[in-house]
Amino acid sequence: MKVYDVVPGLEFDAERDFEQSPAWFLDGTHSVPPWTPMFGWFWVSFCRHGMQYGAEKLSLPTVKGWDWRFHNGGGYLTLLLVKSEEEKQRREKKFQKAILPFIQDYDGLWNGYVEEILGRYENLKKLDLDTADNLDLLDNFEETINTCRRMWEIHMYMMYGTYTAYILFENMCRELAGIDDTSPLFHNLVSGFDNKVFQVDKRLWEFSKRAREEGLEMAFLEGELEGIKSRLEGSDKGRAFMKDFSEFMDEDGWRMQRMSEMNLPTWVEDPTPALMNVKQFLQKGGGFNLEAERAKVSDARLVAEKKVMEKVPQEQQGWFTQLMRLAQKSGVFSEEHDHYLDLYTHAMMRRSALGLGKRWAQEGAIDDAEDIFFLQPDEVRRAGINPDQFDMRYIVERRKAEWKGWCENPNPPAMLKEGFDLDQAMAVLVQSNDPIALKVVVGAMPQVRPELKADLYGTCGSPGVAEGPARVIMNEDELGLVQEGDILVAASTSPSWTPIFSMIKGVIVDRGASLSHAAIVGREYGIPVVMNVFEGTAKIRSGQKVKVDANMGAVYILDK
Amino acid sequence: MAQKWIYRLEELRSKDNDRVGKKCANLGEMVHMGMRVPPGFAISVDGYERFMDETGAGEEIRKYVEDAGESIHKIEKQVEAGRLIRGIIEGKDMPEGMKHELYTFYDELCETVGMPDVAVATRSSGAVSMPGQMETYLNVKGKRELLKKIIKVWGSAFTTRAIAFRLEKGMEMSKAPIGVAVLKMVNARSAGVTLTVQPTTGDLTKTVVEGNWGLGESVVSGEITPDSFLVDKVSRSIVSSTISNKPRMVVYKKDGIGMVSVPAEKQDRACIDERELDEIVRISLEVETYFDMPQDMEWVFDEDMQFPENLFWVQTRPAKFSEKKEDDSEYLAELMTRIFKM
Repeated sequence: MKVYDVVPGLEFDAERDFEQSPAWFLDGTHSVPPWTPMFGWFWVSFCRHGMQYGAEKLSLPTVKGWDWRFHNGGGYLTLLLVKSEEEKQRREKKFQKAILPFIQDYDGLWNGYVEEILGRYENLKKLDLDTADNLDLLDNFEETINTCRRMWEIHMYMMYGTYTAYILFENMCRELAGIDDTSPLFHNLVSGFDNKVFQVDKRLWEFSKRAREEGLEMAFLEGELEGIKSRLEGSDKGRAFMKDFSEFMDEDGWRMQRMSEMNLPTWVEDPTPALMNVKQFLQKGGGFNLEAERAKVSDARLVAEKKVMEKVPQEQQGWFTQLMRLAQKSGVFSEEHDHYLDLYTHAMMRRSALGLGKRWAQEGAIDDAEDIFFLQPDEVRRAGINPDQFDMRYIVERRKAEWKGWCENPNPPAMLKEGFDLDQAMAVLVQSNDPIALKVVVGAMPQVRPELKADLYGTCGSPGVAEGPARVIMNEDELGLVQEGDILVAASTSPSWTPIFSMIKGVIVDRGASLSHAAIVGREYGIPVVMNVFEGTAKIRSGQKVKVDANMGAVYILDK
Repeated sequence: MAQKWIYRLEELRSKDNDRVGKKCANLGEMVHMGMRVPPGFAISVDGYERFMDETGAGEEIRKYVEDAGESIHKIEKQVEAGRLIRGIIEGKDMPEGMKHELYTFYDELCETVGMPDVAVATRSSGAVSMPGQMETYLNVKGKRELLKKIIKVWGSAFTTRAIAFRLEKGMEMSKAPIGVAVLKMVNARSAGVTLTVQPTTGDLTKTVVEGNWGLGESVVSGEITPDSFLVDKVSRSIVSSTISNKPRMVVYKKDGIGMVSVPAEKQDRACIDERELDEIVRISLEVETYFDMPQDMEWVFDEDMQFPENLFWVQTRPAKFSEKKEDDSEYLAELMTRIFKM
């Protein structure tokens, strides 16, 4: 019998798809390692929808969002360019009106969406999945699908609008003050702001303080990470601690260990990653240095603002200040949207799918609750109401085997039509003027300065200079290895990495732009970040002594 | 010992709002920020309560209101009540103990400024804003007069509007959270206001300073066209200045204030010089930073003193201003299309 495509209609098809676009890029930040089929279906279907929705709602003059394809667990994307000059002009007129809400009431806009989406999550969580009947379980899953689609609409509309303002600000800084977004002075202008992710980190730090005050340190410091919870529960104080910690998890723990996947437990199910962060704060000791750091960083911001303002002609300062305030929200948005949108929605997807999975396993449609991640929604619907009537195990088996194969054979970074090379493909990305492509995906190309005699060249994500032992981290499971004073080397980082920024002295990432996670968080913690070095994780080994000079975009390996 | 009911301004901070009212608490905060305010002292709500208590005025009012019953909700009755209650309050003398304490503070003030029977302004300072309770008496000289005016300020808590307001809000009739500020009268050469935001456009990069000869009332009330300066906050340079013809100004008269003609040779001259303007801007920006929001402030230059000691501040509060004009947003939107053309 025929097995369905994972993402029907959006599986990569070389013959057809190269006719549409000669270059398809792998989304390495989100789809390496490869996605499980169900997660891939959610992402490709709705990230794609959200980008086109956002670009259309804003009527972006040059780009209509991105198209996505699914290929062996990887997400491949290409840009949908506006084809005629006449259409560009038409869209431009509309855009000038459509962007106004961002300029006039940014906070109102963003807070409104946060409220809307949190309301949807609350609705989904109302259903007790263990006691619900099959109709309600299926209905909950359908509502989760709708929530995911809505999440991506909000996500991409907000992201396009926000980054458009940021890019204009960056251009204006270049024109009026002679600085761009790889310059340390520019970074000083956009840092020193609190956000929801940092607030969660602070709660974790407060728990570490409490653990120390109540003599619970040993439960954290001795023995395996996985045992922290049971060791705590061996004492009255520890039980009280875990009770409060679980309450905190119910509030803020709706997030994934790996941001863009659903096959690992949320913090609510398994608080180990969160407890690991508490442990790291305990090992490090001292205060919550982000706050002291933020005070310094905001002072530096005020100095930078003054410096830049001196260069801006007086009659331009009014709107320039307004634009600056808007651009300063980009970093906050970048971090907060991960918390409220991606992480939370993915946690909801896992919750709802596992609810079905458990029922199906009980009624015999699949062997194990987590097998549900190897099915896509059409298949879920097939057996949704009467799982006792359908045996879905043959699909699960086949998909599982395929998925294992995907994990063993990495997807290529791009699919290119014959005769088309990567440089040409990158040029198309840049020409699109797509704000997300420019600020998150591509970034600035590093300038090689032979006179520096550096081992790697990148761009400045956050200013500063630091030296220390390198720690190469390839995925979230290894974050526990990070030691105080390390220089983190990674392909890229995401919100679950934020707490370790309080321990490390510097960051080197293979890819990234000035609104990538590593850059934003590095600036808030006041540590240097060099990005777009491309070969950092390949060339540097853990334990090697390295020096990062972010101001110059240079990385030195001191003991080769 | 009886409860403390008079405070030096430097003893007060904004948290004392409930005790001494907004104006006094604000003046205390201003002193704390290093702004020069006219020397003086504050009479707390406790002073009012003690007066009402010891003189029996409080009891009389309670009784009157009780007898009036439902009829108090009629406007005619409220007019009568206002007149009657003010009569009760103003008909009482201050108890000896209180009198003694008040005189001690006044003597100390006279000594500080080196003038016997120094002229002061007595202003009401409500802990909650209440319409129609804004009695101010200027140019008050001597102990006896001061005492009478303070009692009058207390009485002003019972204007018809204030009574109606209290009934509407279900507040107790005999209570009035009212404090009194007693401040030395500044011999105003020039006075005016400064706004650390352009009120019309919401432009936060500029400060507006407006002033006239004499007291600030002519500027605040908008009766004349004042001199106007627009100053850039960062560079502190003057972006534009308009020196208006100012034929009239407000000065102190024997009983309060009034309009007089400005001498011909001064009518077209700027009422402050550049150095004075710069000092106003400097301090106003410090205060704005302190509160972290645009401020609406009132300043006075004293005739008899030397710069910069002659600059006094009488008020600072959050500025009201309209949001950025549509045009600027549209201009920004237009600029944003540029990033798609590179």
